[in-house]
Amino acid sequence: MGGCYNARHRSDTLPPRGFAMFRPSRRAAAPLLAALLVLGLAGTLPGQQVAVEEFTLPNGMQFLLVPRTDQPNVVSAGWVAKVGSVNERPGITGISHFFEHMMFKGTDTIGTRDPERDATLRVEQRRVREQITNLVWTEQYDRFLRGEIDDPWDPANDSDRLRQLRTRLDGLIRTQQGRGDAGAEGATIVKDEFDQVYTKAGGSGMNAFTSYDLTFYFITVPSNKLELWAWMESDRLHDSVFREFYSERDVVHEERRLRTDSTPTGRFQEQFDSMFWASCGYSWPVIGWPSDLNSYTEEQAQDYWNVYYRPGNLVGIVVGDFDPARAKADITRYFSRLDAGTRRPPPVVTLEVEQLAEQRMNAEGDFPPAVEIRYHTVPAGHVDSYPLDMLAEILNERTGRLYTGMVEGRGIAAGAQATSDTRKYAGLFAIEAQARGEATPAQLEEAWYEELAKLQAEEVPERELRKVKNRVAAGNYRRLESNMSLMVQLAVAEATLDWSEINEGPRKYEAVTAADIRRVANAYFAPTNRSVATYLRRAAAPAGGPELPAAPAGGQ
Amino acid sequence: MPRSTLPLLRALLLVAAPLVTALPGARGDEPPGADLPGRPEEIVFAPLDFEVPDAKQFRRTLPDGTPVYVAPTHEFPLVTVSITFKGGASLDPADVPGLAGATASLVREGGTASASPAEFDEALDFLATRIGVQSNDAFTTASMNCLTANLDESLKLFVEMLREPALDEGRLRTSKARLMESLKQRNDDAASIMSREWRRLLWGPDHFESREPTGASVAAMSTERMRELHRRIYHPGNMIVAVSGDFEEKPMLEKLAAAFAGWKKGPAVPDPEAPTAELAPGIYHVPKDIPQGKVAIGMRSIRRDDPDAIPLDILNDILGGSGFTSRIMQQVRSNEGLAYSAGSAVVPKVWYPGQFRASFESKNATVALATKIILDLVEGVRDEPVSYEELETAKAAAIETFPRQFESKPAMLRVFVSDEWTDRPADYWKTYRDKVSAVTREDLQRVAKKHLDPEKMAILVVGDWDAIAAGDLEGRAKMTQFFGGKVTHLPVRDPVTLEPLPEGAGAPKPADKPAAPAGQGAPKKPVPAGK
Repeated sequence: MGGCYNARHRSDTLPPRGFAMFRPSRRAAAPLLAALLVLGLAGTLPGQQVAVEEFTLPNGMQFLLVPRTDQPNVVSAGWVAKVGSVNERPGITGISHFFEHMMFKGTDTIGTRDPERDATLRVEQRRVREQITNLVWTEQYDRFLRGEIDDPWDPANDSDRLRQLRTRLDGLIRTQQGRGDAGAEGATIVKDEFDQVYTKAGGSGMNAFTSYDLTFYFITVPSNKLELWAWMESDRLHDSVFREFYSERDVVHEERRLRTDSTPTGRFQEQFDSMFWASCGYSWPVIGWPSDLNSYTEEQAQDYWNVYYRPGNLVGIVVGDFDPARAKADITRYFSRLDAGTRRPPPVVTLEVEQLAEQRMNAEGDFPPAVEIRYHTVPAGHVDSYPLDMLAEILNERTGRLYTGMVEGRGIAAGAQATSDTRKYAGLFAIEAQARGEATPAQLEEAWYEELAKLQAEEVPERELRKVKNRVAAGNYRRLESNMSLMVQLAVAEATLDWSEINEGPRKYEAVTAADIRRVANAYFAPTNRSVATYLRRAAAPAGGPELPAAPAGGQ
Repeated sequence: MPRSTLPLLRALLLVAAPLVTALPGARGDEPPGADLPGRPEEIVFAPLDFEVPDAKQFRRTLPDGTPVYVAPTHEFPLVTVSITFKGGASLDPADVPGLAGATASLVREGGTASASPAEFDEALDFLATRIGVQSNDAFTTASMNCLTANLDESLKLFVEMLREPALDEGRLRTSKARLMESLKQRNDDAASIMSREWRRLLWGPDHFESREPTGASVAAMSTERMRELHRRIYHPGNMIVAVSGDFEEKPMLEKLAAAFAGWKKGPAVPDPEAPTAELAPGIYHVPKDIPQGKVAIGMRSIRRDDPDAIPLDILNDILGGSGFTSRIMQQVRSNEGLAYSAGSAVVPKVWYPGQFRASFESKNATVALATKIILDLVEGVRDEPVSYEELETAKAAAIETFPRQFESKPAMLRVFVSDEWTDRPADYWKTYRDKVSAVTREDLQRVAKKHLDPEKMAILVVGDWDAIAAGDLEGRAKMTQFFGGKVTHLPVRDPVTLEPLPEGAGAPKPADKPAAPAGQGAPKKPVPAGK
């Protein structure tokens, strides 16, 4: 599970699975992965090529422009930072997403009426917070490790010294926000001015999301306001200020409670992810472990900025009704103010180790009986990723093998889905099925193994493959219809592989043969390569039963 | 601030905040981009002329009188045909809530007069055509999206499905089994408990907006009952068609006329009934063991055509409807860090008064504090006029984003179809921006006093009451301070029957707990279940 910046009543955001956002979206998460799967293009249909104008500024920032007039008067614009939770390490898990939240706090121009005094207050906050953090890491962690307290970060367990420091920090934050003794007049912050400037100008759907491999910031503006976008985004990339660095983590804790701790399966899914990925950077959640969330320092954030938020690691994308020559001029004018920086992102070196034996997790809670079976596969762009994606298509939808075999045929499932999730550095293939009636997870699991055995033994018939390729080809048009959808796909493709995959992928899907599918069905689905999570509903009990499992230490 | 002061400020910052000025690009004599406008307000934008599209120019009539809205666009080789019928859950029989929704599913899944369900699905999938049928409260919508090349065959399948659905018994069994599984999950997620109990409070338990299927009503769903409902809803006397995408108008109208030929009209469908129950103000609580309380605060509000609708919408944007540019988000989330999502909405209804609702979720200890802040903010817009700046921002946002609802052809047609079904005044959109421009601070305070009143609101909390009632560590707020501390504890309902469970039931039974690994402390604040 992951995270995003924002909730507003007119949101048109489409966050993918495994994300975190700056604000909650009122719309349910759309299956972006499914959209990525339907990159196929049938040979019988004309190919849809997205005409992208690409250019790079001298400072290294790359831009993709897709002018089109079918939806007049609006432009969707965004930029992707090629950094996500996979670039983190234990101790700073979730910092990519936290950083995303920080990016909305303004600059020395936006978000403050007195940058000098604001900076002074921030420095004081930082000094106090460093003392708090150091005390917790030493004294409170020691007390926790000895079993004296249940959570080193819980203010209820504070020593007097910690309590004083927290009060001091809270006072500094209140002063900065205009809620201290000096009142509103003493505020150095102009609250959420970044949002207000866009709102007043007719911007909508402003948001950002962080996933395993990327962070994307986006908005839709009226066509005549593209220059405003260039101003606002180049300003925050030039001059971002980590304002409210310490209070914003409370918001992220609430986001974590909302998405993970308070949902029926949230923490089980998190645990399954951590079990599945042994060594690579996908083993921690995008939103981060609670203890790390409390521990980030401004130095770490600054370091992240210097390495990952320099122009060479960023790609701007503009899709919609605009004049490309004018846009190019404005973009060049504004984004050229970004300094190229001197450091380059370090390579992600830790590869996933080979799984040697089946892994299982048996969960009980407030959810229907279900099963998830996962296999390690390949990263995006790998030659086998295309037949694996097509295999998922063979299994999915109403005429797919999971529905006809498990929902209809055996009558044991209420629903069943396959996912081929190929990321930048590794991939997985998952089967999920929910039980119907008295059926058990074990029956669902067995049914999948039977379906798998057929795919391993026999090639998919020609008509079945053609059907799936037709669907994938039509999906190739459908996914391009909305500006926002096209922009997100360009961002994901560019951050994972290369934006040109949008145009080149379809040919590769069309070229997949029945023999390829049978080959990958045999290559990646060995029992030793699988991890199985079974979910059982916990029976209702008479009064007096205990609570849900305790939240992990490190929360607040 | 004027741009010319910035280099000076940077020099000061270098002393005050070495960390901040360590940013690349912030050093050197000549800051890059010094020639750019210093503030976004200094940018001069070209005017953007947007003329409101006139529904009449897109409206056609088939020989049988069926209205069809057409909007061709040839960017992609795709065609969308969407048919909106009046009537949805509003037509559910009292003993079978959920029947309209289940009928819509089975129309789609149950095959046709000439094709078995499997043949029908296979044919569609091979053509790469997508068809969906859905019922909401007051309408049922069927839509078909296909490649231009497959239009004729797809349209034939689509209309045959709507006219002569087979409502196959086997698919009905599957569909009912699936529905039963979803009923069992109704208490799993606090959000679904919140949604159900809020609707029951707001509309009363017997109104169609709050009635939900139960095990007994699912059992009562038969093809006979579905046929009866199908005859009432799915006919040409009760539909408006919208077509967008890659087509030419004249042949399209001919194809539609041919496809609908001989389809008999039925009687008109009545307007949805208004709820008769009143919302009883007070605090309500439904138990759920989660580390965060979910809260809704609200009351019945206005009809869509109420003259106060526009000022109330603008007021709500300032109060809680416009994300970070509104007071609730700024106070509850941005300043206090109490919630990830927090906001409010005014949802007017066409046929009866709708609702105002503020909502948020927060850790147990700060539920009372966030509730207090929101109620204070509601009082605030009643007691004082909003600032000029807030008013100007909210009005500018409403005017500038106004064209967005006509942005794509399908979106524009959805507006036209909805307006025709609900008799929206013809000049509504033409004069919308003028009406927004005319709104004053006094208008907003007047509608706040008239339509928002904390004493008439219900507060619904889903969560762990004992942990929530105590309030925050600093004692800034407690739940007892609202409505004299009187709380109505609502029962947990059996997820399948929706009957109240005896107190204490429904809580999870002891699971075999794994031994705590070294270093894992005891569970925080153990809470006995069954409160």
